[in-house]
Amino acid sequence: MFDFWQLVNNENMKIYRRPRTWIMLGILLVLTLGISILFFSFNTDNTLTMWMPFEVCATVAILLITIFTVVISAESVAGEFTSGTIKLLLIRPWSRSKILLSKYLALIMFALFFMILLFAWNFLVNLIIFGYEGDVRMGQDMAPLQYYTLMHLFELISLIVVVTLSFLISTVFRSGGLAIGLSLFLLLGGNMITGLLAFLDYGWIKYLLFLNLSLSQYLGNGGPMIEGMSLGFSLSVLAGHYVVFIAITWYLFNKRDVAS
Amino acid sequence: MSESTASPDTRSSMAADHTVVRLQGVTKRIGKRTIIDHLTLDVPTGEVFGFLGPNGAGKTTTIRMMVGLMKLTEGEIIIRGHNIRTEYEQAIRHVGAIVENPEMYKYLTGYQNLLHFARMIPGISRQRIDEVVELVGLKARIHDKVKTYSLGMRQRLGVAQAIMHKPSLLILDEPTNGLDPAGIRELRDYLRQLARQEGITVFVSSHLLSEMELMCDRVAIIQNGRLIDVRPIQQASNETATSKVYFEVDRPDAAMKLLSDMEVVREGNLFSLQADREQVAALNARLVAAQIKVYGIRVQTKSLEDQFLEMTGGERIV
Repeated sequence: MFDFWQLVNNENMKIYRRPRTWIMLGILLVLTLGISILFFSFNTDNTLTMWMPFEVCATVAILLITIFTVVISAESVAGEFTSGTIKLLLIRPWSRSKILLSKYLALIMFALFFMILLFAWNFLVNLIIFGYEGDVRMGQDMAPLQYYTLMHLFELISLIVVVTLSFLISTVFRSGGLAIGLSLFLLLGGNMITGLLAFLDYGWIKYLLFLNLSLSQYLGNGGPMIEGMSLGFSLSVLAGHYVVFIAITWYLFNKRDVAS
Repeated sequence: MSESTASPDTRSSMAADHTVVRLQGVTKRIGKRTIIDHLTLDVPTGEVFGFLGPNGAGKTTTIRMMVGLMKLTEGEIIIRGHNIRTEYEQAIRHVGAIVENPEMYKYLTGYQNLLHFARMIPGISRQRIDEVVELVGLKARIHDKVKTYSLGMRQRLGVAQAIMHKPSLLILDEPTNGLDPAGIRELRDYLRQLARQEGITVFVSSHLLSEMELMCDRVAIIQNGRLIDVRPIQQASNETATSKVYFEVDRPDAAMKLLSDMEVVREGNLFSLQADREQVAALNARLVAAQIKVYGIRVQTKSLEDQFLEMTGGERIV
């Protein structure tokens, strides 16, 4: 195996050499900064700590990062088919599995990069504007920084599962537009539909993907949405889905012919 | 299974010196439809090998199987002794290809595109990339985004990525599609040069017969997924071959009478007969000596198109 990282390099080039990636990052940075400034301008009596605006910024950022990553993920494989570049990409001395893996790794790195960057950005911006306040307890008696680090970690896990799902859709449908549309529909629609289903009294509902994606529910004191769910349970359900998504993606990508 | 794959392998290693690719009973079925039907073909080293057939004959499917984009239903494809099915990485290393249009990443520059493909194959230095850029004549525009390129420039970039790793086999699917006459001519000369100077075997598909005639040393003709014929292209300087010769004269009746010892066919003011080069000159002298004015002599070389039509029973070719 000669330099597999060169393949990941290639995929990174295809992500970061496109203006849209930097536009996405710009939107994220400007929007969260705007939210902080908005909070500051309403904070005339100085009662706000940095954590309230930080939480709002983080929530907005994570939602947008999820959407952006899904867009890039859905386009990752399907886009190569749409543009026809898949034909040049695959006729190299690399197995299809490794080429697919390089794409997947580049996506995970992208998700990680944006998550860490936005976490740091939101923290710094709100720290500078509001000053540090370490004397609060969050969730189940945690220091704020510990609480929000955990929150971001949980959200990252959900994000990886969602990205894997859109990567699967991308491989199945081979059309960039369709993959992006379907992935976003599943992401936004799936949340709503399972949210409604959660009110129904069926035992199997708790095994659905989307109910288990909001891992942050276990951070607070409110308890789970449905009785019988716990952090371990949700992680297991996500892991089960993850394995199935990965298996189908790799199986299909290896097996199917590349025809016009 | 292991036995059936072993036998073509050993045979191909024996023939490795003069065969770059061997297709052995290659069959592709999609559903019930047989697209390629037991295609067996050897491509000799160092030749420009044409793969000719009407649209829908299975050219692109065959090429896609040769580069591993499609799986074979039956049969084997061996490239430089490596089975494409079982040793894909080793087999494809020797191959450079453009399948259909040379589609590149439009949002990257030409250079970034080349860098992308260079990273996937070991041993391609930056110097080699520059060398190839120079070779295909893209130096002035290589750092521009591909979306600003004309089709001809994209084609050249496609050739650049295909020859960058010095393959022993270059596979081009309909390379002249969409090129203007100057571009076609340039590509043709370039391919011949590659075959001559670098010893690269070029496997090129086309439905344009006249193209193939000018470009190739040998053509395989395929129709409805079946191989009809493989034949070398006759070079024009073949002196002993007889061809059909038309004479245009002022008094065809007199000429017919004069040449009654030969098989002459009258066609209006023209008459035609079979003759080789020397005979044509002699005939001309006889006619002139008999006070018959010769306005024109036209040698009809049998084009590939005629041969093709003959073989395929006159099926229309687009």
